[in-house]
Amino acid sequence: MIGDLLSALLDVATSEAAYINALTFAVFLAFGATGEWVAEKSGTLNISVEAMFLAAAFAAAVGMDRTGSQFTALLIGIGASLLVASVQAEMSHRLVANQFVVGLTLNILILGLASFLASELTFSTRKSDPVTIPILSDIPLVGQALFDRAWLFYLIYLVVPVCWWMVFRTRWGLELRSAGENPQSADVSGIDVNKRRRQGIYVLGVTAGIGGTYLVLAAVGQFEDSIVGGRGFIALTAVIFGGWTLRGTVAGCVLFGVVLSFRLSLPALGYEVSGDLLAASPFVLTILVMAIFAARVRSPNALAQPFIRGLK
Amino acid sequence: MSTGFDESEVDAISLTPGTGEHEDEPASTQSTTSRRLAVSGEVLVLYLICIAIALGLSALLVQVTGGSAGDVFNALLDGSFRKPGRIGLTIGVAVPLLLVALGTIISTKAGLVNIGQEGQVFLGAAFAAYVGTEMGGPGPLVIVALLIGGVVGGALWAGIAAVLKYRRNVPEVLTTLLLVTVGSQLVGYGLKNQWLLLAPAEGRSNRQQVSKQLTDDVRIPRITWFGNEFPISAFLALAIAALVALALASTVWGFRVRMLGQNPQTAQRAGVAAERYGGGAMMLSGGFAGLAGGAMLAGGDFGNYTLVPGFPSQIGWTGLLVALVARQRVIGAIFAALVFASLRTGSGFLAATGVERRVTDVVQGLLVLALLIPPALLFLRQQRRATAAAGDRT
Amino acid sequence: MADDGATSLSTSVPAADAFASAAGQPAAIRLDYVTKKYGSVMACDRVDLELRRGRIHGVLGENGAGKSTLMKIMIGLVLPDEGVITINGDRARLTDPTDAARYGIGMVHQHFSLVEALRVWENVALGEVGKLRPADVRARVAEISERYGLDVDPDAIVGDLPVGMRQRVEIIKCLRRDPSILIFDEPTSVLTPAESEGLFETLRHVVDDENRAVALVSHKLDEILRATDEVTIMRQGRVVDRVITADVTASSLAASMVGRDVSLRSERVALGVLDTDLEGTEVPDTVPAAGPCVLELDGITVLSRDSIPVLDDISLTVHAGEIVGVAGVEGNGQRPLADLLSSLLSADSGEVRICGEAVPTGRAGAMAAARVGVVPEDRHDSGVVLDMSITENLALVDASSFARRGLVDRGALRDRAVQLIEDFEISCPGPDAPLASLSGGNQQRVVLARELSSDPRVLVAAQPTRGLDVGAIEYMTDRIRRAAEAGVGVLLISSELEEILDLAHRIVVISDGRIIGEMDRADADLERLGLLMGGAAA
Repeated sequence: MIGDLLSALLDVATSEAAYINALTFAVFLAFGATGEWVAEKSGTLNISVEAMFLAAAFAAAVGMDRTGSQFTALLIGIGASLLVASVQAEMSHRLVANQFVVGLTLNILILGLASFLASELTFSTRKSDPVTIPILSDIPLVGQALFDRAWLFYLIYLVVPVCWWMVFRTRWGLELRSAGENPQSADVSGIDVNKRRRQGIYVLGVTAGIGGTYLVLAAVGQFEDSIVGGRGFIALTAVIFGGWTLRGTVAGCVLFGVVLSFRLSLPALGYEVSGDLLAASPFVLTILVMAIFAARVRSPNALAQPFIRGLK
Repeated sequence: MSTGFDESEVDAISLTPGTGEHEDEPASTQSTTSRRLAVSGEVLVLYLICIAIALGLSALLVQVTGGSAGDVFNALLDGSFRKPGRIGLTIGVAVPLLLVALGTIISTKAGLVNIGQEGQVFLGAAFAAYVGTEMGGPGPLVIVALLIGGVVGGALWAGIAAVLKYRRNVPEVLTTLLLVTVGSQLVGYGLKNQWLLLAPAEGRSNRQQVSKQLTDDVRIPRITWFGNEFPISAFLALAIAALVALALASTVWGFRVRMLGQNPQTAQRAGVAAERYGGGAMMLSGGFAGLAGGAMLAGGDFGNYTLVPGFPSQIGWTGLLVALVARQRVIGAIFAALVFASLRTGSGFLAATGVERRVTDVVQGLLVLALLIPPALLFLRQQRRATAAAGDRT
Repeated sequence: MADDGATSLSTSVPAADAFASAAGQPAAIRLDYVTKKYGSVMACDRVDLELRRGRIHGVLGENGAGKSTLMKIMIGLVLPDEGVITINGDRARLTDPTDAARYGIGMVHQHFSLVEALRVWENVALGEVGKLRPADVRARVAEISERYGLDVDPDAIVGDLPVGMRQRVEIIKCLRRDPSILIFDEPTSVLTPAESEGLFETLRHVVDDENRAVALVSHKLDEILRATDEVTIMRQGRVVDRVITADVTASSLAASMVGRDVSLRSERVALGVLDTDLEGTEVPDTVPAAGPCVLELDGITVLSRDSIPVLDDISLTVHAGEIVGVAGVEGNGQRPLADLLSSLLSADSGEVRICGEAVPTGRAGAMAAARVGVVPEDRHDSGVVLDMSITENLALVDASSFARRGLVDRGALRDRAVQLIEDFEISCPGPDAPLASLSGGNQQRVVLARELSSDPRVLVAAQPTRGLDVGAIEYMTDRIRRAAEAGVGVLLISSELEEILDLAHRIVVISDGRIIGEMDRADADLERLGLLMGGAAA
């Protein structure tokens, strides 16, 4: 059994296709996780990442079908995701509704809405073609996975550093972090805590919008109700896995991406694995990972604590 | 990680949150009866407006996609109570919703965020199916046993999240959520294996992955009142609702659970061990969801007494929403369960209108969001009044 | 100006500009007729105030006199109902702290405005506008730090700094904006006597050499006498007197502050008097005969998450009828000590014994069951449940003894609540009123009522009189004394030396989580205590 496991892993580790699959999911997760990392730095916990992904995927698919332009589809996808983000942001951090309740309701609502509309409308898309970057894509094993991808994939190389820069090199980022660590002090210092928190969620809306578009146009190729299928939550937990550092978050996305991809890679390599087991494994792994890491890492002090001036 | 403010805090409308930190800023001096009445009137109007907006948006959605809002509305009314026998069906659907909501109320009062009811329902139904199909003996005994099995299944599933929370500090909002998918895969696996849940080959087509059907004597008896048939588990649910309300309000246990939810540190000082009371509340919450699963299976309104993939069919999620909409109050939960059940049974009549069933999910979601707004607005206004009195910028 | 029946005070209050220099330089800031009302209570009643450059102006008043509200008005956190604010001769409108900052008003907050997770320079930069220039900010921090001898490292993480150092970061944050007016709100509550001296020197420097104006808000007479040039005294929202510090004595200040002739001796806790003439004269009457030992901490060590001891091998004993005072500057382990005795913390080693029996630490309710009563430092954290009623709050610990078969006997609880409300003179709409609707002093009474009525063997009182007005302080200290007389062993944890000296039979000093000194009250001397609190070995 162990021998089988080891040889399976070895096969996966040496298969280019496996890397491609793994990074497909990793990058998809990373679009959401990076945005959520920004948001959690300001103290919010948004389980509506799932809804943002889904809204973007649906809207981008329809957009692609109607306009034929991937770029326009991206904009539409981001727009849809921002719409969801705005409900989360405004209801939870301007209207002080419980952020978990809002997030959960959004997930249910958007799933229902997308399924409903998908059955009423007809549209079709196809997987977008890869854009090959010369030389780099010739690197053995990982070259194809990293540099011979759909153009939407490459956006992650932009999104991650930009988010890092925003959070650590700008005044906005400083204020964002203070809102997440000690909102009372930030408030006394003249910072609008809830405004920064809302803005963090809007950033999430943008990145998740890209992620959802990427998912439907590049990773999967067509829309279906279950296209996100709970993987938005995995993006959330990548942030915890990473101890609320961006580096760790990205690492978490890679790890979970690998596991998510086993479902494709293993059968392709000739391994027979129980479908249910494989489908559950990323979630089980996520839980295990949190069980190991959550006790040790330090979250932003005010994470998931709504800020209302006058109340402690 | 605390969830901070929750809707039930808004009920303290008569207070300004002058917590008396500084002697300069004394406590509230308001709250006369007439003021409260005026406020209640305002509250009602606010709710009505928000509900109207939600329904209006839904109607718009229907119109825009080529359907007729009027037809849909009529179909919903027909399907939920107008046509004969439908009320019975609605009650049958409301039963598990109420049970799930009751469990959610308990965990919320304890300060926990349990959003994994969908998975807990499924596990409960699975345990109930196993007991119901494998256990021999007199019918009523098996029924009771399978319901207990449901409770156990749901409680165990929620228990995983509780253990992770209290031993490893993992936020339960995430674990319960993730466990929903894991649970569904687990039961799915069970439905593929005969030694677990899968029915033997004869009597079902090869591609069906379903459990054995519960035999006649293992089904919850149904009664007929005024032409409407529904399982007697409805009475059980109401009785349990009364018990829960009583327990939370008047027992020492309920007092301690509420203490835990409102101030865990003070509770610790007073002898309320978070692990014990919180973990217990969590498992109770899962147990209620599991009971709902068992009641669904043996009640007959879902899946024809057979466990199938996707069995919970959103009852878990909806039950959670029922509790939210009811603002964690038992009376409200009964009412809201009926409303949400009506949406479901009403949607059964939508086929004739050409509008896709899923539209009721949208209506549901919009309603919940809409109902979140009035308490939040009121709370804000209360804050604004207090800080305006204090002169702070808002 | 009407007074409430005071007899020995002057009936004419000098005008706000009575002490202006002849040169006629406009006041740095002038408040005229400033009024602020909360409901039916006048927090500030037609207050006139002038702050001049080159002067340290004290604002003296007991808790609740309106000083904090007045300062909040000056810093833009509170909008006055009436009144005019004039800054350097021009009328000004302060609607939020950014306005105030623009006018050159800065405040060093009592509870700080620092974000622990961030570095010093990041905290200093917080709240400003414009592009973030880390190098510039760091350089400025270093410069200010050097100029005032504050010795602060710009890259240190604030959370790692001791409390006294954090206050210096606050000061730098304030000075960075180059304010012409600085407001210090009760700054010495977290400082050792030595650090307080250092602070006053800094203030002097800021005022004399840089011609700024400083307002020092305090309820302690000593501080006012030592550090200020002139004083505005407030009482119940009104200005009742303005004096030049050099011209007054502690007694006259006290009289103005409280509104009647006052025995410095008996009320010095409330007045913050550490007059060396007094110390040693008012020793609690009887040094109790050695009653049985009710509380014993034996080698208690509590480690923080990073394995740093917050309590380090603590051993102390309290006997029945004895008041043991734990003196020390805030942040040296007092909070963990109280939390330990509230079952909120577990000890990593050592034992806690109540009347000889070991009590497990960290186990919910174990201390309460062993009859250890606690009046915590922050009642909102672990003393009360704000959303519950007074009756419920009184029953938090012993609800089960009022229950039959699990069901709570509401009637009995209510009766008890009514009785306690009367006994402890709790001012409230009724026993079913939510606790949050009570004022701070009354909330504290509810806590006290609950703890004392449970017939405790040990009473832990942590900063029991913080934030209370003179009347409430007197009540509290009286109750504590009576509890001790009735045989309860009292552990008084306080950073107010006056309180310790007034009540304690025996004093221990805590510093950095360790007990570094112990003495009987009769042998206590201020100098030694001050040194110990500053961390010097006994």
